[in-house]
Amino acid sequence: MRFLSILTTKSSAYLLQKIGRGGSLPGQLGLKFDPDIFKKLTFKGPVIVVTGTNGKTSTANMIADLFERAGKKVVSNRRGDNLREGIATTLLANANLQGVVQADVVVLEVDELNVKYILPNLPVSAFVVNNFFRDQLDRAREMEQLIESIEKVLPNYDQTLILNGNDPNVVRLALKAPKANVVYFGLGRNKYSQETTNEASEGKFCPVCGNRLEYSYYQYSHIGSFHCAKCHFRTPILNVELHDIDLEDHTFYFHQEKFKDPYQGMYSMYNCAAIIAVAEVFCIGFDVVRQVFANAPQPKGRNEKFIKDGREVVLNLIKNPTGANEVMKVIEHDPADRLIVIVLNDKEQDGIDISWIYDTYFEKLMSKNTKKIVTTGTRGTDMALRLYYGGYQGVLETKETIEEALQEIGNDHDKLYVIATYTALLPSRTAIKKELGL
Amino acid sequence: MNRVMKVAWMYHDIMDLYGDKGNMMVLKKRCEDRGIDFILHTIGIGQEADLSDYDLIFLGGGADKEQMSLIPDLLSRKENIQKAMDENTFVLLICGGYQLFGKYYEAADHSKIPGLGFYSYYTDTGKEGSRCIGNVVIEAVLDGRKTKIVGFENHGGQTLGVEHPLGAVIKGYGNSFDAGQEGFYDGKILGTYLHGPLLPKNPEVADFVIYKALKKRDPDFRFEDLAPLSDHWENLAREAIFKKLEIQE
Repeated sequence: MRFLSILTTKSSAYLLQKIGRGGSLPGQLGLKFDPDIFKKLTFKGPVIVVTGTNGKTSTANMIADLFERAGKKVVSNRRGDNLREGIATTLLANANLQGVVQADVVVLEVDELNVKYILPNLPVSAFVVNNFFRDQLDRAREMEQLIESIEKVLPNYDQTLILNGNDPNVVRLALKAPKANVVYFGLGRNKYSQETTNEASEGKFCPVCGNRLEYSYYQYSHIGSFHCAKCHFRTPILNVELHDIDLEDHTFYFHQEKFKDPYQGMYSMYNCAAIIAVAEVFCIGFDVVRQVFANAPQPKGRNEKFIKDGREVVLNLIKNPTGANEVMKVIEHDPADRLIVIVLNDKEQDGIDISWIYDTYFEKLMSKNTKKIVTTGTRGTDMALRLYYGGYQGVLETKETIEEALQEIGNDHDKLYVIATYTALLPSRTAIKKELGL
Repeated sequence: MNRVMKVAWMYHDIMDLYGDKGNMMVLKKRCEDRGIDFILHTIGIGQEADLSDYDLIFLGGGADKEQMSLIPDLLSRKENIQKAMDENTFVLLICGGYQLFGKYYEAADHSKIPGLGFYSYYTDTGKEGSRCIGNVVIEAVLDGRKTKIVGFENHGGQTLGVEHPLGAVIKGYGNSFDAGQEGFYDGKILGTYLHGPLLPKNPEVADFVIYKALKKRDPDFRFEDLAPLSDHWENLAREAIFKKLEIQE
């Protein structure tokens, strides 16, 4: 059935592309014809899989860039179709009818719960894991089950694991992969490291013996330098350790060489560390890494700026407490007077459970220079209620639509931050452009 | 002198799934807006405390693995919790906390974890890892006060043998897949699977919890003695979710 599976996927992907669509449907058809199709593919070079809660799209895309700039032909699911079907579309659409994927290197972003379908069935040469945070638990169930689903496919994995050495939930994966070669990346202690935190929800207990984990310092959330008081589990020696972090300049050092992070925040530095680790494993030079960072596209909805006639609007995506806290830290550190619009939706891709807004420190927004907050979205009233119970003292309003929320802000020349969940991102961008006349 | 509400939030850093900490934010604000002093103590594993000294004990939900770590500590406090309940400390339990007051609960890996055994209900695990997930609305009667309670449930545990359910399920699952009933309420403890968190969108339940807690020090205290609050944002959010779920309030 390999032939039919590939043919169907290729032709339907081609047809859908003609009408401007793609995604999971072709791969879904391919998997119907041959559920074992992944095992029947041949690869001409390394296959790299990237997973984790936050940052996997930009990390996977920069890894794909890395190989492209090193002169390789790369096949990658760059648009983030990261479930089994979307991955089948990517691979089969780029395979010939003999099942040979036409690429020197394959880079796949894989949803955490789909790793179990991919890792055992493809000849993966490097498996990169960023971090595990609470994210849409209604769909992903408890994080523990998610990590276990990955652990279950690791015992026979005998290639390279590239792991965030500062996340205990990621480091524990190595314990289940005795045959793998493990490379750890992370950040050394720096001027932003903190000895205590109120942001960490994960990483409280040792995954080996269950005792409480102790932290020498935190970088952000539960990411940091940890050790168990009772057993050997601890932050490993980092093979790729960034140092002299400067979040204002977005710069860091590795092996005395200076790099510039294309994005903002501590979490982005970790993505950079992952890229450098991949470069080290595949012997790609620092000059290529620098080119990748210098040319990384500014992803939409990550501090995306809209400026016209002296008015400035900044759009940010939020999808879980950790990501949202990092977004709000950037707003918190901006000394400008500001207005804020928060768009909270509860559709499937946003997560139908919105309780995460109570695990998120929206209090960070509640400073004197926040003049007004307007909430909207399918659960905008819940967002307003959250701010009310958080003790927000400024002007608070709620509106039916994002357009009305922006009109409410009107021509005020204070800086406007728009914070939106996944399905609200595109409508927000459209409404912002319309409002500014861009 | 101001009234005081003293709350023991047990295992706050372990049992903190799905925004349950929001419940404490709500109790605090609703007390303070009425001039009631709100004292919140977190009580962790190994921490000495006399729970009978508190007006309310609160225990939220946790992940299976983390929940396991507190069992010995919780069981060691059994007599003290019994004493607290005998002396009219009110108890609010969400999800895992609710399960732990029953006979036992069966974790996802089928190991049976002993509960405090104050009540005869018990919790089995969902067949083949199935979970009750989604928005939920129940109709409850709280000491004669009829009210609709809205929340979000996300539990594998199937709680059976519940003698005094909190309410009848209008939308969602409840104690188990086809229970038709949700939670537990017998005048002394209120246990429920409702996250959301529970209290922000159910101000009447929040006030009911405050009323039950204040009764400990003042047995004559009545629900009506709580000064009414505007509930503007609460009602807006309630209306929105009821409209979404197509339920008449």
